[in-house]
Amino acid sequence: MKHKWAMVIDMDRCTGCGACVVACVAENNTPTAGEEEAGKGRLMQWLRVSRFWKKEGEDTRAIFVPTPCMHCEKAPCEIVCPVYATYHDEDDQVNAMVYNRCIGTRYCANNCPYSVRVFNWWNHQWEKPLDEQLNPDLSVRSRGVMEKCTYCIQRIRRGKETALKEGRKIRDGEVVPACAQTCPPGAILFGDLLDPDSAVSRMVKDPRLFKLMEHLGTEPKTAYLKKQKGPGR
Amino acid sequence: MSERHHLERQGEGGLYETLSRSNLVTTKGWYAAAGVLFALTAAAVGVFLYMMATGLGVTGLSRPVMWGTMIILFVFWIGLSHSGTLISAILRITQAGWRAPVLRGAEAMTVFALMVGGLFPLMHLGRNWRFYYMIPYPNERMLWPNFRSPLLWDMVAISTYLTGSILFLYFGMIPDLAAARDHATGWRKKLYTFLAAGFRGSHSEWRRYHVASTLFAVLIIPVAVSVHSIVSWDFAMAMVPGWHSTIFAPYFVAGAIYSGIAGVITVMAFLRRVFRLEHFLTVRHFDNLGKLLLTMTLIWGYFYFSEFLTTWYSRLPEDWELISSYGTHYLPLFLVMLTCNFLIPLPALCLSKVRRSIPAMFAVSLVVNVGMFAERALIVVPSLARRNDPSVWLGYFPTWVEISYIVGSVSMFALLYVLFSKLLPVMAISDIKEHLFRTTDRSIGAATVPSVAQEEEGEGE
Amino acid sequence: MSERSRTVVIGLFDAVEEAGAAARALRTLPLPEADITTISSVALPDGAVVSDPRPIRFPWAVALFWFVGAVSGAGLTLYSYLVYPLVTAGKPIASVPPTMIVTYELAMLAALLATLVAGFLSIGLARYRARKVFDPRIHEGKIAVCAAVEPGEQALRAAAALKEAGGAEVRTEEGEL
Repeated sequence: MKHKWAMVIDMDRCTGCGACVVACVAENNTPTAGEEEAGKGRLMQWLRVSRFWKKEGEDTRAIFVPTPCMHCEKAPCEIVCPVYATYHDEDDQVNAMVYNRCIGTRYCANNCPYSVRVFNWWNHQWEKPLDEQLNPDLSVRSRGVMEKCTYCIQRIRRGKETALKEGRKIRDGEVVPACAQTCPPGAILFGDLLDPDSAVSRMVKDPRLFKLMEHLGTEPKTAYLKKQKGPGR
Repeated sequence: MSERHHLERQGEGGLYETLSRSNLVTTKGWYAAAGVLFALTAAAVGVFLYMMATGLGVTGLSRPVMWGTMIILFVFWIGLSHSGTLISAILRITQAGWRAPVLRGAEAMTVFALMVGGLFPLMHLGRNWRFYYMIPYPNERMLWPNFRSPLLWDMVAISTYLTGSILFLYFGMIPDLAAARDHATGWRKKLYTFLAAGFRGSHSEWRRYHVASTLFAVLIIPVAVSVHSIVSWDFAMAMVPGWHSTIFAPYFVAGAIYSGIAGVITVMAFLRRVFRLEHFLTVRHFDNLGKLLLTMTLIWGYFYFSEFLTTWYSRLPEDWELISSYGTHYLPLFLVMLTCNFLIPLPALCLSKVRRSIPAMFAVSLVVNVGMFAERALIVVPSLARRNDPSVWLGYFPTWVEISYIVGSVSMFALLYVLFSKLLPVMAISDIKEHLFRTTDRSIGAATVPSVAQEEEGEGE
Repeated sequence: MSERSRTVVIGLFDAVEEAGAAARALRTLPLPEADITTISSVALPDGAVVSDPRPIRFPWAVALFWFVGAVSGAGLTLYSYLVYPLVTAGKPIASVPPTMIVTYELAMLAALLATLVAGFLSIGLARYRARKVFDPRIHEGKIAVCAAVEPGEQALRAAAALKEAGGAEVRTEEGEL
């Protein structure tokens, strides 16, 4: 059963609260780098909320861009890996990352125009009792490998297995990544583009839709809905 | 005999003694130099082991600057390696009359710079103990390398070049090893007997030897060009502003030849001084190398300008941000590069007074390589530090770990050279002999000028 | 003793001119051109003392191995496209640029290795057991003129001719020319 998972982020709804980041950290066993390391640009979070300032007349407004992996269909990170540690999963049409293969050339991170890939600079430790809350569905990455947003592949797999066991197709909204599940205003929407009735399939027809750095030809599957102008916004 | 050739004037035994002085006497100075260099190299190896044990966090790298000093050093040393073999091959093929004393030193420089440079892509791996994942051999991991990655091309090209350069160095050395074999005693005799592989110098051996040397030279030139092109493609294939450029391959090749010629001059000045080869490495060689360096200064400047101009004129936002950072955050680096690569060498090398002064040439060659290091840093770092997404922009500065790699790489190169000069013939004795053999004094009017006999092309076949 | 081992007369000369005279004398004995050679520390131009009429063919072996390397490089990449058809970046599995580059590099590598091996075979290097005629004094500036002869009368005549031309230390040895 083939899928084409995609994410649509509604900038109109995003408040920049950062709950998605926290959810992602909790779900994906992302280590916390600490203040000093974060200052050196070594945050391990798979999802960052970039903040840009925009002048609108008298006011300066913040624009928040939650940036997870774009899961590009023409992902520049994949082609440069010498050991196939990152490749295109044909069943789920996601950009997969195999930690055990990775030798840490960091070429993929250089070639990612969105800079969403993070590298394990250290062997990260989880102090007690934090280690108790590690997610058993996925591994804890060792030092020297790249990692990045997987669209919560463990949840996708779980959903597919359940559907297979029950002998049915996967339902729209059955698989929800941690960020989408947590987002208080519901700005993040996730689903299968091959399912014509799914919510994402409807959303990608929205005229507000845009993709980050579309001119690079990476064909990202994470898309954004533009902020609307007007009263009350 | 009226026309005594220059070789007879020298006397072959004496010639051998002068040229292989480095092999014959081991001075206290040699032990001191080798000891210091070994200590520095060992310290850098220790630092590497420390990095291997703790993690790449000990470097100054970050997101987005995922490549730093180690990659700069890689490009720098591979670039430096470039010229030795290339110059030697070109000089051999064109039968440049002044080539003989330069050949061996240049070829050895290539091999050692490659050995040093080739280490860095492996060291910089996050899991450097798993480097063999990149080698295509059948294995139980069901893992096969991705040939579409420029890093794989790099690995293939550099191993070809290293193998080729070692063969080229060795093959060129065979007649000298034969000479050393017949002069040496003890363990050296055993070593040279093995390495000389029974070369005698019979007429048919010499003929075949020359054909094979020419073949080596012809084959190594395209390999040398391809290697630095591929190193540049590591960058040019990536869609990073400032890297993704079609000019990169020829630009890198030109830059590599530039820094390589400067490296050859540095090494020649050292050899001349340390092994008292003033008689063979004359002002003429430095003058000629200086002219080559001047040519490369101009070519480098031309390439840099044409690359710069495209961005400057079109001002595409992503590229423009990068170029602007040269004027702000990276201004010191940019100025060092511009001064050392162009503003100093260009006028200096135009003056024959500078080209004909060995201390001045030594200084210029060092300045050029400082500039080339800055140039490489300017290619690797700012492009990454000013990525497409401004929210991740960050600076980069090497930590003590990376600085010790810089020191370590220089000392490892020097150490390899010092060991080489002790073990193997550091000057191309038989090429020098042949040159002297073919040189006679010819009287033109009242003046006496040296004249070199050479076969017409094709006649010697 | 290998089959190539023959009786060789060898004499040392100080200058090219003397060596040339000696070679001329040997030729008039008569001895075939291929049985006379010099051993010298610098290459002498062909025809200065002796000339070597045998053609040098080993560059063809190098050319052949260039193609062998090219085929193995292309084969290696094509094989990896077959055994590991992983999609990356939506690009074709069998990709032309890497095939070209790997083919080129392996072709050059094979040619370089072949130059060493073929060169060694052609020169006759690395045959450590072989007993070849030699005199280390060539590194003191002597030129040795050697000729393969029939033992007996011809050997004596050749030795006499070398002595007459000014050869020092003329002697007869068993060995390869």
